[in-house]
Amino acid sequence: MSAAAALLDRLGRPGDVRLGTAQGEPIRQLPTGLAALDRALGGGLPRGRVTELAGRRSTGRTGVACAIVARATQAGETIAWIDVDDALEPETVAAAGVVLARLLWVRPRGVPDALRAAEMLLGAGGFGLVALDVGDAGSPGPAPAWPRLARAAERSGTALLVIEPQRRAGTFAALGLEVTGRRARWSGGPGRLVVLDGIDARMLIARNRVGRPGQSLVLRQACA
Amino acid sequence: MPRIACLLVPDLPVAAACRADPELAGRPLVLVDGSGPHAHVIAASRGALARGVQPGRHTVAQARALAADLVVRTRDAAAERSAAHALAEVAASLASRIETAADGAVYLDATGVTHLVASEAALATALVARAARVDLAARVGIGASMTVARLAAEHGDGTEVVSAGVERGFLARLPLACLAPAPDIAATLQRWGIHRLGDLARLPVAEVATRLGPAGAALIRAARGEDERPLAPEPLPAAVEEAVALEYALDSLEPLLFVLRGLVERAVARLGLAGIGCARVALALGLDDRGREARALPLAAPTRDVKAILGCLRAELEAHPPRAAIVHVALTAVPEAVRAMQMGLFVPPGPAPERLATTLARLSALCGPDRVGAPAVVDSHRPGAARTAPFALPPAEQPDRPPADSVCRLVVRALRPPRPVEVFTERGEPVFVRGEGLGGRVVGAAGPWRVVAEWWSEDGVARDYYDLELTDGGVYRCYREHGGPPPPAERGARSGSPAEREARSGSLDRWYLDGVYD
Repeated sequence: MSAAAALLDRLGRPGDVRLGTAQGEPIRQLPTGLAALDRALGGGLPRGRVTELAGRRSTGRTGVACAIVARATQAGETIAWIDVDDALEPETVAAAGVVLARLLWVRPRGVPDALRAAEMLLGAGGFGLVALDVGDAGSPGPAPAWPRLARAAERSGTALLVIEPQRRAGTFAALGLEVTGRRARWSGGPGRLVVLDGIDARMLIARNRVGRPGQSLVLRQACA
Repeated sequence: MPRIACLLVPDLPVAAACRADPELAGRPLVLVDGSGPHAHVIAASRGALARGVQPGRHTVAQARALAADLVVRTRDAAAERSAAHALAEVAASLASRIETAADGAVYLDATGVTHLVASEAALATALVARAARVDLAARVGIGASMTVARLAAEHGDGTEVVSAGVERGFLARLPLACLAPAPDIAATLQRWGIHRLGDLARLPVAEVATRLGPAGAALIRAARGEDERPLAPEPLPAAVEEAVALEYALDSLEPLLFVLRGLVERAVARLGLAGIGCARVALALGLDDRGREARALPLAAPTRDVKAILGCLRAELEAHPPRAAIVHVALTAVPEAVRAMQMGLFVPPGPAPERLATTLARLSALCGPDRVGAPAVVDSHRPGAARTAPFALPPAEQPDRPPADSVCRLVVRALRPPRPVEVFTERGEPVFVRGEGLGGRVVGAAGPWRVVAEWWSEDGVARDYYDLELTDGGVYRCYREHGGPPPPAERGARSGSPAEREARSGSLDRWYLDGVYD
């Protein structure tokens, strides 16, 4: 066998392409900074994908989102927070470890404006994470918004984190996290000063297209 | 040997009118000073000239008799000023020493310009191309003096370069009328058989001066390509202004935005010549009732995005409509360098500065300038105080050590403005809370913590704060306010008489919900 034939056998002959064998580009991940969650997700939130973080009032979903943003801003990422309810408190967010100078705070006047703002921010590129906090407003807009947001996130490679009362994105979300089972912790008692210590909750990875769904973990949140 | 370039727009008033209203381009247009059929034509487009209209001689009625399809417009000094400034900015984008002539022609010092562009011919081509970007069809001439450059621009091929040493040859073939001599001098020279500049240049200056006076001597020096004075450079105004006088008063927003779009596009094109962005927009509106209104719109970041600037203008005009119809619009764009920054090799790449600026401007137009920015902690004891600071990415720095894993902190979602709630108390302790979107028995409570802040001002607060866990599942931050006027959100929002409310709450103090632990 000639050297040329040996090389062709080794490297493959022209036209000898097997369809369906191409490997997709691995999905990059944004570490959340919460060790248990990172372990369960295999590294963090998927970049370029939609992640839903759903939970009812006082389940600690905003605290989880702040922890993720804190880790990302400390790593030098630029983050945008779209705040429909105008609910962000800079003081408590800073106490949670967020580098405020790296956080762009956008306060739209309703869910439709929030969706447009999210598309603009995803279109700008360069943001590590865009957090769309629809608060207690319920559905974050009409169903056609989801494919648009998912496409924009994929094009820009930015992780889109939607914080909402219930998961709504369906198949357009790569990751669905649900926070349930809240229990407030109080310290003190009769004759002593009573203080709110924090909240314990359970997080369920309800949907995971890039890993194994169904895992759950305990979240223990302390007052800042 | 100095080199001078002349950037010229023939018949600037007509060009300015066509620039302000592009639909006029190519049509037989005359500009008049005044109104009515007896107003004199002061400028005419090529189409009108071809139909026999003569500026300075014909009235509107006479011009209409010559051309039935004539378009008549009143001369717009503001539009002409904008066009002249735009032309000066084109010159300033390629030269540091420029002078603007009274008729709008711009002279620029082209000495050593080959360090910037490949050749003088390339400079001429670049000037014409940049003038086209601001909607002006310009001609360029380059020569050893302002006179040669001007004549080269007027009578050359559009980008005429008269090389050093051949000026006399170039000028010699031009007719005497090029220098626009006074009629009596022109008649005398005609009698002497002088028809071209070459003939004139050969005459002795002193002899001619004794017969025709200083004007005759000046003509000969011009025919030889000599200037009466050197170039006198002047600084350009920092702000870019585009203005237009409207033919009809506009009383609705959409047509006004259509006009504004043209102004913004032209202003942005001018800013683009220097590679800078618009940091602030000022709008001066002339009203139909002879009044004036002025608006100033700061943008979140310097930008050249027309859509973003228009969005801000729309938001401002929708929020604060002018009190009368608009007859004159002047838009001033205050320039500022678009932010540039050094990216780090070992830190995540942030948004590109110009795209970030454009995005910020668009977000400002969508949400309002005060609702986009970096959150900033307010130096106040008032809980929930917040403000936004202009968002500018800090320089990329590699963290000293990798970020540690976060501790999950419970944060407070603020309610702005605080929501009034009814709180039922027993022995001074809250036992039941009822309000919009929440309600339930208190199952956990902590407090009160007294907060007294800014007691010296009218906005001072004196509150007792409680953390309350209710049976509806929420953990809330509530406060009881002592005295002071109710916040605006409460006025009219609560039903019943004060006595009823007092009976329900069991206290004269007002209770509010201002945050939810989440």
